Amino acid sequence: MNRFKSIVLAALAVLVGAAVVLPAQSAAAQSSASLSITPKKNYTIESGKSAKDKLTIRNLDNERALEMTLRVVDFTYTDDGGTPKLMLAEDAPQTTWSAKPFLTVPKSVKIPPKSSKTLDMSVAIPKNQGAGSFYSAIVYSSGTSDGGNVGLNASGVTLVFANVPGEVKEGLKLEKFGAYVPKSNGTKSDYASFTMKEPLNVAYTLKNEGNVTAAPAGSITVKGVFGQEYEITDVNPNASLALIGQTRTFTSCIKIKSQDVDFNGERSEAKTCTSPGLWPGYYSASLNMFYGQNGNNTKEIIGNSSFWYLPAWFLVVLLIVIVAIALGIWRLVVVIRGGSRGNKRLQVMADHIRLHRLLSTVFVQQDCWCKF
Amino acid sequence: MQHKFFRFHIHVFTWRSVVSEDIIALILALFIFIVPTSAAMRFQERSLYIDDSQPGATASYTLSWRYMSPQPVGSVDILFCNNPIPYEACVKPAGLDASNAVLSEQLGEIGFSILSKSANHIVLSRPPGMISAIPASYKFDNIINPTGSTSAFAVRLRSHASLNGTGPQIDFGSVRGQVTNGVGLETQVPPMLIFCVAEEVSEGCTQTSESNYTDMGQLNARSTLLAQSQMAVGTNASGGFVITANGSSMAAGTNVIDSIPTPTQSIQGVNQFGINLVANNTPVVGSDPEGEWANAAAEIDYSIPNQYKYVSGDVIAYSPNVSLMKKFTVSYIVNSSPNLRAGVYTTTISYIASGRF
Repeated sequence: MNRFKSIVLAALAVLVGAAVVLPAQSAAAQSSASLSITPKKNYTIESGKSAKDKLTIRNLDNERALEMTLRVVDFTYTDDGGTPKLMLAEDAPQTTWSAKPFLTVPKSVKIPPKSSKTLDMSVAIPKNQGAGSFYSAIVYSSGTSDGGNVGLNASGVTLVFANVPGEVKEGLKLEKFGAYVPKSNGTKSDYASFTMKEPLNVAYTLKNEGNVTAAPAGSITVKGVFGQEYEITDVNPNASLALIGQTRTFTSCIKIKSQDVDFNGERSEAKTCTSPGLWPGYYSASLNMFYGQNGNNTKEIIGNSSFWYLPAWFLVVLLIVIVAIALGIWRLVVVIRGGSRGNKRLQVMADHIRLHRLLSTVFVQQDCWCKF
Repeated sequence: MQHKFFRFHIHVFTWRSVVSEDIIALILALFIFIVPTSAAMRFQERSLYIDDSQPGATASYTLSWRYMSPQPVGSVDILFCNNPIPYEACVKPAGLDASNAVLSEQLGEIGFSILSKSANHIVLSRPPGMISAIPASYKFDNIINPTGSTSAFAVRLRSHASLNGTGPQIDFGSVRGQVTNGVGLETQVPPMLIFCVAEEVSEGCTQTSESNYTDMGQLNARSTLLAQSQMAVGTNASGGFVITANGSSMAAGTNVIDSIPTPTQSIQGVNQFGINLVANNTPVVGSDPEGEWANAAAEIDYSIPNQYKYVSGDVIAYSPNVSLMKKFTVSYIVNSSPNLRAGVYTTTISYIASGRF
């Protein structure tokens, strides 16, 4: 019996040892993980009506087929930007703005190498559904890995927004507005009331207190103290949204540089912020914005802000000028003081002479009195 | 004598300050009470309803507002522009045509007829009459919608005492409109998001290595296990993209190697699982993002050389707008403590690329 026990233990030890030493099993044929999808879909559908649409998915891989599963999940916002936070857990509760009940999409798809497939999808709004914004995401997931320590999985997402027209509650509150430094390598984004680097952006932060998504439109004017004026005619060119309950920061370029680019064989317009050529100094900015869905009241938001742009070279020049002026004033004071001292001496001398004359007169008179 | 002068000065000075304060207060009061009554006011409860909001469709536009200034109104100037700001230059929304507009219905303040109309301008006229407090609405048929569905347009409104929309304005205001594709009709250049993940990928995603997993070798407290994978991404969507990394840390059954919650150096002998997206020296692994286009970048926390982090759901790379293809190399590091239980430690990381809203 003891011998049997020791044999079993030895066998277990070998198994555990092998598990630690040997790398994980490799897999056989893998699915492609190279896809092209539509990132966003917008619908406006009246209650009781439906919309049929197509989802086009492309497999870009030259050699392997793309096998994908599709599912609809809800999402919300991550921060004050446009990053969706997907609720991927199977047991995630349905949100109040979920479009899941309205969406019908296929469960899976297999696409041969270097080809595409168009899938039917539909959005059906029930008859008794009230007006509002509803949104969910379609997640396309490639097959999971079959081996290795770190398995890789690629998924793409299409965000789906469905607006049901009618009377809705809209409310945007302006929280911040001003010059803005977006995040870049090593720095986080923030508003700036004083900056040494030329600001390329202005931004505004809105809190959505309504029960629908909101995409404001309007313009921003930036004015310099010397009369320079910069007009941003479209403060929301991408029709970005503030989701329900979100505090969203919308950024705009003070000056936009547009260029045509070739993206995957298609011509697209890419916009980037470029230097507006601001002079150093004080700037005021005014925001005039409108929002309101079709058939609802148009509401207006007005905001004002200011910022200082003082680059390092300007501060150095300013310091030199101030020192030069101070030196000049000091020199002038010295000269003036020197001059007034000379005048005082002359006055003292004149007083001495006057006193001398007066005393001489008095003495002369005294002499006279003595005589009488 | 000097004392008398002093008393006189005090007396006069007091009166002088009182008089000046009174004058300032009077001027302020004049500003407050006089200026607003003489200035134009904004129309209230302004709205626009388009009965068919498809781009380029022929639709009925119902404009509603409440007149505010208690003055006789003889005309209303209606101007369709891209921009709602009344004092800025008006650019006609592309595709919009109101030259065949017909005033089919009017409620509230009535008696108007169309005096003149063009592609983006309508003037309503009537015999001047005092306005009432009830809201007004005007329905125009046969207006062709703008063709651009990506940005909003505006209708600038002004009321005048004159009959032809000229002279001083009484009230003003703008309403916002937008046409939308009820059904997602694909335009000439549909927005697309291209994404691929594998051990090795080409920048255009046309070539990916066979494997979508990486073996890291045997765990040892005196060494750091390393691995790399690659992903390429690009989009012509104006909103840009984000990539998140999702999945639990490395585990063997119930035994877990803790992931690194904040950017931290690799430390041998301590349980650590982390990633980053840049070239590193200690240990030597990874490479910087490849691709000329500067819009796409690795997230700050994942772009510090020799510092690693892994929090499921974190954004690891993003672009705020259009981005041509960019390739990122993800470096993985695993360190283990001497008392880590034996087992095959694995994880699956799901990289999810999505558009931004």
